[in-house]
Amino acid sequence: MNKPVDILQGTLDMLILKAVSLGPLHGYGILLRIQQISKEALQIPQGSLYPALYRLEHRGWIAEWGASENKRKAKYYSLTGAGRRQLKSERKEWKRLAIAITDVLTAKPEGV
Amino acid sequence: MLARVRSWWRALTRQSRLEEEMAAEMDSHMERYAADLAARGVEPGEARRRARVEFGSVPAAAEECREAVGLRWPDEFIRDLRYAARVLRKSPTFTGAAVATLALCIGANTALFSVVDAVLLRPLPYPQPERLFSVARHFQGKGSNAYQTNLWGAAWEGVRDHASYVDAAVFSDGSMGVNFAAGGRVEYVKQQRVSAGFFRVLGIAPLIGREFSADEDRQGGPAVAVLSYALWKRVFRADPSIVGQAVTLRGEPHTVAGVLPAHFQSSVPADLWTPLRPSREGEGGGSNYAVVARLRSGATWAQANTQLEALGAPLLREFGQDPSTEHLRLISFQRGMSEYVRQPLLILWAAVGLVLVIGCVNIAGLLLARAAGRTREMATRMALGSGRAALIRQMLAESVVLGLCGGAAGAVLGWLGVKALKALMPASLNVWQAVELDWRALAATACASIAAGILFGLYPALAASRLEIRAALGEAGRAVAGGRNPWPRRLLVASEVALGVVLLVGAGLLIRTFAHLQGLDPGFDAKNIITAQLSLQDARYATNQRVNQLFDKSLTRICELPGVDSAAVALSLPYERALNTGFKRLDGPHPDTESQITNMFYITPEFFRVLRMPLLRGRVFTAADSRTTAEVAVVSEAFVKMYMRGDDPVGRHLGDDGDRREIVGVVGDIQQKSGWGDGAPTAAMPDIYIPATQVDDKFIPLVHTFFSPNWIVRTAGSPEGIIAGMQRAIQAVDPQLPFAGFHNMEDVRYRSLAQERFQAVLLGALAGLALLLAAVGIYGLIANSVAERTRELGIRLALGATVSQAMRAVALPGVALALAGVMVSSVLAGFASQLLRHLIWGVRPGDPLTFAVVGIGLLGVAAAASFLPALRVTRLNPAETLRQE
Repeated sequence: MNKPVDILQGTLDMLILKAVSLGPLHGYGILLRIQQISKEALQIPQGSLYPALYRLEHRGWIAEWGASENKRKAKYYSLTGAGRRQLKSERKEWKRLAIAITDVLTAKPEGV
Repeated sequence: MLARVRSWWRALTRQSRLEEEMAAEMDSHMERYAADLAARGVEPGEARRRARVEFGSVPAAAEECREAVGLRWPDEFIRDLRYAARVLRKSPTFTGAAVATLALCIGANTALFSVVDAVLLRPLPYPQPERLFSVARHFQGKGSNAYQTNLWGAAWEGVRDHASYVDAAVFSDGSMGVNFAAGGRVEYVKQQRVSAGFFRVLGIAPLIGREFSADEDRQGGPAVAVLSYALWKRVFRADPSIVGQAVTLRGEPHTVAGVLPAHFQSSVPADLWTPLRPSREGEGGGSNYAVVARLRSGATWAQANTQLEALGAPLLREFGQDPSTEHLRLISFQRGMSEYVRQPLLILWAAVGLVLVIGCVNIAGLLLARAAGRTREMATRMALGSGRAALIRQMLAESVVLGLCGGAAGAVLGWLGVKALKALMPASLNVWQAVELDWRALAATACASIAAGILFGLYPALAASRLEIRAALGEAGRAVAGGRNPWPRRLLVASEVALGVVLLVGAGLLIRTFAHLQGLDPGFDAKNIITAQLSLQDARYATNQRVNQLFDKSLTRICELPGVDSAAVALSLPYERALNTGFKRLDGPHPDTESQITNMFYITPEFFRVLRMPLLRGRVFTAADSRTTAEVAVVSEAFVKMYMRGDDPVGRHLGDDGDRREIVGVVGDIQQKSGWGDGAPTAAMPDIYIPATQVDDKFIPLVHTFFSPNWIVRTAGSPEGIIAGMQRAIQAVDPQLPFAGFHNMEDVRYRSLAQERFQAVLLGALAGLALLLAAVGIYGLIANSVAERTRELGIRLALGATVSQAMRAVALPGVALALAGVMVSSVLAGFASQLLRHLIWGVRPGDPLTFAVVGIGLLGVAAAASFLPALRVTRLNPAETLRQE
C-alpha cells in the first residue's frame, strides 16, 4: 500500500459529489466510500469533511435525504439536480486538466 | 441562489437547531469510527480516544461549518458592535462631542418631522384617503406654478353635474363663530358650512342620525345642524334622543339631524355643521367654496382629471379667467388643504436636513482626526491578518453605535422640540392631526440615525483602512511636519462652512422679513385697546336697524363703564383680513367701467378716534350720518395712492350696483392682512370705510356669514379690568349674545405674524446650530493641527520664529478655509434665497446687507475658532517639546 495522498480543497468537493452520486450516505459513510474506491490511496482529513458538506449543502448541490439508519442522529446526504450538473462539469474540467498535465509531463525534448 | 438564501435564513433563524444537528452529526461520526476501530480489534476505550484525536478540533470544524452557511456575518456584527461600544467608552470626550452634535441635529429633525408628518405626510383620517381629491385651480404661466382650492358657484355646479368619475361635495373651508343656545346655555361655537353629501364623500357615517339631504341643502330649505361628538357630549351629555329636536342656532331653531363620531375631524376645527346651500349668487359669485371629490370605484385619477380639465376651460372663461394659464385639476385632498403651508414647511424641512448633513460632516472630521491617532492600532490589526473589509466594518460599527446613541438622545430632544414647536406654531399648521412624537417620528429618527452613522463613518473608515502597514508601524506619531494628508478634513470643514452660509443667509432673510413686518407703522395707537367679537350671523340681526340698535345700546353701556375712554364697532380689525369688495369710480379723471377691488369696513362713528387714526383730509363720520342722510365714505391713504393719485378725492363719488357714495374724508393707513394683491402678511391696504348705519339690508346677512364684527374699546388704564363690565353690558342688551374671546391689540398683532415668526425663529435656530457646528469644526481642525505639529512648532520657535508667527502658521488655514467656504457658498446661497422669494417681504432675495453680515460674521467666528486653539502655541516650551519622544 502506497503512502496516502493529501487532497486539494476543490478536489474534496468533487469527490464528495461523486461519492454521494452513487447513493445517499452519511458523513462517515462518504469518508469510507472515498477511501474504499481509491483503495485507501486518498486520505481525507476528518475535520475538513463537515465544513465541505455544509458548504455543498448551502450551495444546493447536496441535500438531506430521508431519515437516518440505526436511529442515529446522522444526516444522510443525496445529490441534487444542481449537484449532478456541477459534478459533470467538474469531471470535464478535471479531465482537461489531467490531460494537459499529462501532456506536459510526458513531453519529449524534440516536441518542444 | 435561492437555496443559499433559504439555507442562510434557516441557519440564522434556527441557530440552536443547527448547532444540535452539527454536534449530533460529528458525534455519530466519531462513534462509528470508534466502532470500526473496535471491530478491527482495538480496545474500546483506546478506539474512542483515537477517533477523537483523528477527527481533530470539533469547535474549529463547527466554526467552519457555520462560516460555510454564512453565519459568520451576524456573529461578527454583534462582536463588532460590542467592541465599538468598548472603544467609544474609552474616549468619552470624543464620544460626548459626537453624540451631543448628533443629538442636536437629529432632535431638530425629529421635531420638525413630527410637524411635516402631521401636516403633509400622514394619511388623512378618512377611509381610503388616497382616493380623495381637491378640485383645484392650477395657475401655470411665466414663473408661476401654484394651486388654489377656492372655487365659485358656477364651477361647483359644473363639477357636480358633469364630473362623472367622482363623487363630489362642496364646503366652506373655514369655520365661523356663531351663537348657539340649548339646554339653558348660550355658547359661541365654531360652525362649518358643508353641502349635502360632504360626510359621505369623506367616508364618514354619522354616529347617530343622518347627514344633510339635498332638500335641506337648498336656499329656503329646512334649518338643520349636525353636531360634533364633543359638543353633543358637553351640552347634551351624549343624549341620543337629541336627534330630531330643535336647538337655537344663529337666533333661529335648527333641527339636529345627526351627531358625528368622536374621531371625526373636518378640514377646520368645528363644533357643528350646517348646510352650505351653494348658489351662483352672493358668496357663490366669488371664489368662496372648496370642493372635495372621491374617485368612484373603477375610475382612475387620469380619467377624472382629464374630464375635469375639459369641463373647466369654459367655466374659467365664463368667470373671466384665462384658460390658457389656468386649469381645473384634481390634487390630493391632503395637498389641497395644506397647499398654503406646504412650501414653507418643505423649506424648513430641507433646512433641518441640511443641519443634519453639517453635523455629519463635523463628526466625519472628528473621526478623521481620531483615525490619525489610531493608525498604529489599525496597522497592527492588519499586520496580524485582519482584512481591510473587517477594519472598515469595525469602524462603521463604531459610527453606527454613535449614530444610535445620538438618535436616542435626539429622540428625547425631539420630544422637547415638539413641545416648543407647538407653542410657536401658527394655528394653520395644526389642522388635521395632532402634532406629536409618535412611532412614525421615532421610526424616522431611527432611520436618520443609522443613515447618519453610515454617512459620517464611511469616508473616514475607507480613508483609515488605506494604510501602508510598514510605514505606519514604523513611523506613526513621529512625523515632523504633519506628514498625513490634511486635505480631506479641510475640505469637510470648508463644506461645513459653505452649508452654514446657505442656512444663515436664509435665516437672515426671514429674520429681516419678520423685523420689517414687525416694524411697519401700525397706523394706529395699539396701547390700551381691548377687542371682543360676537357673531351676528343671527336671524334676529338680519336688518340694518336691528344691528345698529345693538351697536348703539351696547356702546352706550360700555362707554359708561369706569375706565373706558371710548368705544366703537368695526366689521374687522387691523392686522386681520378684511372684507374684499368691488367698486367703481363714478367721476373724476378716470371713471370706471369695470369693478375695482378694495377692502371695506363698516364702522361706528367713534372708530377713528378710538384707534387714534389721523384724519388727513375732509371729515370723519358723525352720529348725523344716518340711514336717511346722503351716503358717505372715508377712504385710506393707500386707497388714494392706488386709485386717485393726483386727484382730490374729497367730493368724488364711488359706487357699485346703482348706489352712489360721496367721499368725505381721507384717513391714514392701518396694517392689515392682504387677502389680495401681493398677499403680504401685513400691509397698508386700500380701504373704504362706510358708516354702519348706511349698510344695505341685503348686505347685512352676507357679510356676517364671513365676518363677526368687533367691539373695540380704548381704556384709560390696563384694559383687562373691563372684560367683565363689557360682558355685563352686552348681556343687558341681549342675553342670547355671547362675546367670543377678548384680545388686546398686541395679541392680534402677535397672531397675525405667527407664521413669519415660526419660520424666522426656526430657521434662525437651525442656522445658529449650523454656525456653532462650523465653529466647532474649525476649532477641532486647528486644535488637532497644533497637537500634530507640536514638534515642528517647537523647532520653529527654537530656530527663532516668534510666537505670533507660529500662531499665524497654524491658525491661518482655518480662516482661509472659511473664506473659501464663504466664497463658494455665496453663489449657492444666491440660488437658495430664490427659493424663499415667496416668503420674504421688505427685502430682496439677494439682499446685500444679509449676505455681507453673514459673510463677515462667519469669517469673524472662523477667525475666533482658529486663533483660540492656536493660543496653545504660546504655552509651548521649545526645549521640552524637542525632548519629547
